[in-house]
Amino acid sequence: MQTKENTLVMVALFAALVAVLGLIPAIPMPWGVPITAQSLGVMLAGAVLGGRKGGLALVLFVFLVALGLPLLAGGRGGLGVFASPTVGFVLGFPVAAFVTGAVMSRSGMNPVLASGIASFIGGIVVLYVMGIAGFYLMTDKSLVASITIMATYIPGDVVKVVLTAIIVGALAKARPQSLLSRA
Amino acid sequence: MMLALTSDIKTPLHAIRPSIKLAAMSIAVGIVFALSSVPHLAIAVAITALIYLSMGLKFAREGLRMLRPLRSFLVLVLVIQTLIGDPMSGVIVCLRLSAAVAIANLVTLTTRLEAMIDLVMRLAAPLRFVGLSPRALALAMAMVLRFVPVFLSRANTMQDAFRARSIRRPTFYIVMPLIISVLEDADQIALALRARGGLDGGYEP
Amino acid sequence: MTVPLIDVTDVHFRYGERDVLNGITLIGSERRIGVVGRNGSGKSTLARVMAGLVAPNRGEVRIAGCQVLQDRKTAISTVGILFQNPDHQIIFPTVGEEIGFGLRQLGQSKSEAQTQTRAMLASFGREAWLDRPVSALSQGQRHLVCLMAVLAMQPKVIILDEPFAGLDIPTIRTLEGYLSRLDQTLVHITHYPTKLEGFERVIWIDGGVILRDGRPQEVLPVFLSAMERDDAGADL
Repeated sequence: MQTKENTLVMVALFAALVAVLGLIPAIPMPWGVPITAQSLGVMLAGAVLGGRKGGLALVLFVFLVALGLPLLAGGRGGLGVFASPTVGFVLGFPVAAFVTGAVMSRSGMNPVLASGIASFIGGIVVLYVMGIAGFYLMTDKSLVASITIMATYIPGDVVKVVLTAIIVGALAKARPQSLLSRA
Repeated sequence: MMLALTSDIKTPLHAIRPSIKLAAMSIAVGIVFALSSVPHLAIAVAITALIYLSMGLKFAREGLRMLRPLRSFLVLVLVIQTLIGDPMSGVIVCLRLSAAVAIANLVTLTTRLEAMIDLVMRLAAPLRFVGLSPRALALAMAMVLRFVPVFLSRANTMQDAFRARSIRRPTFYIVMPLIISVLEDADQIALALRARGGLDGGYEP
Repeated sequence: MTVPLIDVTDVHFRYGERDVLNGITLIGSERRIGVVGRNGSGKSTLARVMAGLVAPNRGEVRIAGCQVLQDRKTAISTVGILFQNPDHQIIFPTVGEEIGFGLRQLGQSKSEAQTQTRAMLASFGREAWLDRPVSALSQGQRHLVCLMAVLAMQPKVIILDEPFAGLDIPTIRTLEGYLSRLDQTLVHITHYPTKLEGFERVIWIDGGVILRDGRPQEVLPVFLSAMERDDAGADL
C-alpha cells in the first residue's frame, strides 16, 4: 500500500541514507583517488525510488546542506558549498537521481542491467556534465585544463555503477515491493 | 539533533535577521564574482578577513577551518595554471573563490538551524499554490535530521558485526543491509506517522 | 444501550499469499485487555487494524464508535498506538517537537501545543527534555517519549504492541508503573503472560483466529501450558 505518508517517508529516509553514506569513511583505491559512498546513494535513490521521488530525496538533501548541515562527504556543508567550484556536482545530485530513476522506470530490461545503465547515465554522464558546467562557471574558461583531474574519479564511479546494479538486482529478488521505480 | 555548522561563538552577526544576512551575502558574492582584477579581489579578500577577525580570533580560526576543503583544490589550480603558463588567472580564481566561499560561510556560521528552517518555511509558503505543501517539507526535513543519527549508529553496528567475522574492510558491504533496513523502517514509520494523523492533520510548520 | 469501546467484527487480513487474520471478533469495554500469542500469530496485524492504520480485507473496526480506518480525524484522538521500537515511531529530532507534533495535528496552535507539551513533560518530571535531541536519549527514555507523545493526544484507547522489549528490568517496571496508573483503556499485546496479571480480559490468538477469550486466570494457564509443551515446536 503506497500512501502519501509512505512516499514522504521514503523520500526523507533516502535523503538520510545519502547523508549517512557520505559519512562512511572514503576508501583508498589502487589508482590513488579515494572513493566515497555518497554518489552511490544518489544512484541508489534514483534506481530504487524512481525519477520523481529519487529527485525529490536529493532536493531535500541539497536543501539541508544549504541550511548548514555538514552532510556532504568529508563533513562539508553550508552556503559556502554553493560558491565553491564543486557546486555543479552538488546541484547535480537531484538531477542525476532523477535521470537515473527515469531511465530505470522506462527501461523494460531486467533490474540489474537497467539499473546499471540508468546509474551510468544519471550518476556519471549527467552528474559530470553538471559538475563540469559548474566548474566552468565558477572558475574561468582558461581553467578547463584542470577538468582533466576529474577523470581520475571516474574509475571509482564505475565501481559504484556496478554496486548499484548488484544491490538493485538483489533488492528486486528480496523486496520487489520496495522497488518503487518498477512499481 | 545532529550538529549544524553554526558557530558556538556568539557574534554580533548572530542577532541579525537571517533574511537580511542572506540578502547581504548574495549581493556581496555577486560583487566578488563581478570583480576581475587582482588588486580588487585582494581588497575583497582583505575585507572578508577583517570581518572574520573583528569577530575574534577564535571565530576567524573557525572560518578558516571551513575553507579547508577548498585548499587542496586551489593549490592544484595554481599548479596547473602555472604549468600551462597562465598563473595570473589561477591567482584570480583563488582569490575570488576564497572570498565568495568565506562570505557565504559567514551566514552559515552565524545562523541557527531553527532560524534557517523558519526562513525556508516562510519562503516556501507560496509553493502551496503550485501544490507543494510546506507541511510535507517540514516533516521531511525533521525526519532526515532524526534519521541520520539513527542510520549512522546502525551503520556502525553493521560495520562492527562485519568486522567481528571478517578481516576485510566493511565499507561497501554494509550498504545493502543498510538499504534493506531503511526500506523496512520506512513502512513502520509511515504507519507511525499515520497513527498520529499523517499528512492530513492540523500540523503547520 | 451504550456503544462498546472496542468493536472489532469479523476481521480478515491477507498479506500476499498468507491469511494473517481469519475472522477476528472482539467486542468489549474492559479497561485492561491483554492479547497473547506466538510470533506470527497475527497479534501485530490486529494492533494495526485496530488503530486504523491498515485496511482489513473484510470486517469492520470501531473504537468508541469511530470508524478508525475511514475517519482518521476522529481516530487520532480516539486511539493511540505504541510500537515495539521507538526508533520507528519518533519522527522529530527533539523531544519537544515530537510531543508537540500530535497536538498540532489535533489542530492546536503552536503556543497551545507548546504549553501542553511542557505540561506533559512536567507530569513525568522531565521538564528538562523539551529541547533535548532524541538521539541523546537512552532506549528506555525514548520509549517514555513515545508514551508521552501518545498520551498528549488523550486517546480513549491505547494499543501497546509488545512495548519495552529489550529494556532492563527496573526500566520496564517503571514504564509499566506509568501504564498501570493510566485511566485510558489499554490493549496490551505481549508474549509474556505475567504482564497481564490483574487484567480484566485476555485473548489468545493463534493462526489469525481467537483460540480463547476470557478472564486471565482462565486463559493464561492454558496458554502457558501449550507454550511449554514439548511438542509446541519452536518458531525457528
